[in-house]
Amino acid sequence: MPEKQSKLEQKITKAELNLSVVMQSQQKSKQNNLNLKNPLITASGTCGNGQELANFYDINQLGAFTTKGITVKAQSGNQTPRIAETSAGIINSIGLENPGVENFILEVLPETKEYTLPILANISGYSEQDFEVLAEKLEGREELAGIEVNLSCPNIKGGGMIFGTEPEKVYQITKKVREIYSGYIIVKLTPNITDITTTALAAEAAGADAVAMINTLSAMKIDIEAQKPLLANTFGGLSGPAVRPIAVKMVYQTFKKIDIPILGLGGVKNGSDVIEFMLAGATAVGIGTINMTDPAAGPRIIKEVEEYMLKHQIKDLSSIIGAAH
Amino acid sequence: MFKIIANREVGPGIFQLVLNYDQLPQKPEPGQFFNIKVSQSGSDDPLLRRPFSIFDFDAAEKKVEFIYRVVGKGTKILSELEAETELDLLGPLGSPFSLNKNKGNVHLIGGGMGIAPLYYLSKELKSSNQKVYLGAANKAELEFFEEKFKGLGVELHLAAMEEKLEIKGSALVLWLNYLEKNTPDYVYTCGPEKMLVAVERECLKNNIGGELSIEKRMGCGIGVCLSCSCETKAEDQKNKRACVEGPVFGLGEVVLSA
Repeated sequence: MPEKQSKLEQKITKAELNLSVVMQSQQKSKQNNLNLKNPLITASGTCGNGQELANFYDINQLGAFTTKGITVKAQSGNQTPRIAETSAGIINSIGLENPGVENFILEVLPETKEYTLPILANISGYSEQDFEVLAEKLEGREELAGIEVNLSCPNIKGGGMIFGTEPEKVYQITKKVREIYSGYIIVKLTPNITDITTTALAAEAAGADAVAMINTLSAMKIDIEAQKPLLANTFGGLSGPAVRPIAVKMVYQTFKKIDIPILGLGGVKNGSDVIEFMLAGATAVGIGTINMTDPAAGPRIIKEVEEYMLKHQIKDLSSIIGAAH
Repeated sequence: MFKIIANREVGPGIFQLVLNYDQLPQKPEPGQFFNIKVSQSGSDDPLLRRPFSIFDFDAAEKKVEFIYRVVGKGTKILSELEAETELDLLGPLGSPFSLNKNKGNVHLIGGGMGIAPLYYLSKELKSSNQKVYLGAANKAELEFFEEKFKGLGVELHLAAMEEKLEIKGSALVLWLNYLEKNTPDYVYTCGPEKMLVAVERECLKNNIGGELSIEKRMGCGIGVCLSCSCETKAEDQKNKRACVEGPVFGLGEVVLSA
C-alpha cells in the first residue's frame, strides 16, 4: 500500500504531458520524418486552405495541415447538390473543385507561409501520368512537408478510387511518385475494397512513408419526395461519425501487417475518438467532417486527449499507439 | 452562447425564433445568415448545422431573430425547443446585401420563406422610397409578415397563390403588374429560384440593377467544403461559394437553375 501512496504523490501533471508523435519515414535520413507536436492532422477538403478555420482558432496548434485536393488542371467540380445528410454522417460529391496545381503554387502556397505547422498537399489524378506531373511540380517546394497521394477519391470518373482498389496500381503509382518526390509521402487509401491491407502493403512496398485510411465510403441517398437520387452526381462518399467504427477496424487490421505509420481518420469528433484510433494503431489522426460542423473543434479535441492522458496517467501519447492489440 | 427567448408559431408551420446573445464577432448585416446547430446534447443527428438568414436584429436588446418553416428533421427539432434553451450558432456568416449605394426607387420582392431576410433589409435601408412585394401560399402565411412590414411604413403589396389578396398569384406576377408603370432603380429579391430567374431576366432586360439572395444546400457554411459552389457568368468561370461570396449575389452574377 505505501507504494501506491507514493505513486499518487508523483502524479503526472499537465505540463509533463507529451503529445508529440513521429511519423517515421522509409527513407534513410531522419530529416525526412514528419514530427508532429500532436497527432491531429486536418483531413483534405474539410479546411479549405486554412484561412477559413483561422477565424476560429490558430491552426498552428494542430499537428499538421492537409490542403484541399489538387489536380493537374483546374476543376469546377460536380453539379449541385453535392452534399446529402444521413444519420450521423454526410455524403459528399464535391468532385475535387480546385484551381489546378499551377494556381495552387502561385496563389495557395504563399498563403500558408505564415503557418508554423507542417503542410501536406493532397494530390489527385485522372491518370497515372497526372500523379507524376503533380509530384514533379511539387518536388522541392519548401512550403510543403510532404504530399498525400489520394488514390481513393470516389467522386471523380475514371480515376481516383479506381487506382486505389488495385494493389498493383497502388504500387505502380506510389513507386513513380516516390522516384520523383523526395519529401514525405502519405498514400490515402479507399475503404471500398475487400481487404485494405493489400493496398496498404502495396503502398509500403513501393516506398510510401505512411498510409492514410480511410477515405469516404461509397454511398448514396434517394430523395423520396422527388423519387430521384439526391446528389446530382448520384453517388458520393460517406463520412462523419457513422463511418468511424469501420475506419478503426481497418486501422487495427492493418497495424500489424505493415511497418510504416498509419494516419487514421474517419468520423473523429472527440478526444476519445483520437485515443481509439491510436489504440488501434494510428500514429496520427485526421479530423475532417467535424471541421464542417464544429470549426473550432481542433483545440477542444486536443484538450480532451490531454484529459484522457491525465486520467490514465500517460506521459507520452505515442506509447498508446497500437496498445489495443 | 445564444439563448432562446421565444420560439413560436406565427403562421401555419412557420416559426419565429428570437434569441438573446452574449456577444457577436461583428454586427450582423441584412442578407447574412447564422448556422444553427439544431441537434441537442451532443447528438449527431442531424449532423450538419442549419443556415437561417437574419430576419431581425436589435443591438440594444442583444436580440437576433429568424423565421423558418418546418420542412424536415432539423427544423422539426428546432421548432420543439423551448424558451431558455441554449443554442450553438455560428455567425454572422456570408456576404450581405449592399445598403450604401444611392438607389433611388427600390423594390423588394420576396416569395415564401425568402421574405425573411427582406425584413431586416427593409428596416436597414431606412428609405421611404421602397416598395415591397410579397407572396406566399395563402393569407395565413403572410399575416405575420404583413404586420411587421406595415410597422416599417413601407408601401406593401401582397399576393397569395391559393386566395385573392391584391391578386391571386405569385409575388413575381404581382411585381410584374407594377413594373411598367413604376420602374425601380434597384431591386432586392429572395425566394424560389424560379422567381429569382424571372426577376433577374426582367431586370437585366430593362437595365435595372439589383441583388438576389439564393438558397443552396450547404455543408459547413464557412467556405471549407465547397458543397454550395455556384457557377458564375464571369470570364474566368471561377465558382463562388453561396456561404462566403453569397448568399447575396448581384443580378447576373451566378448561374441560376430554373
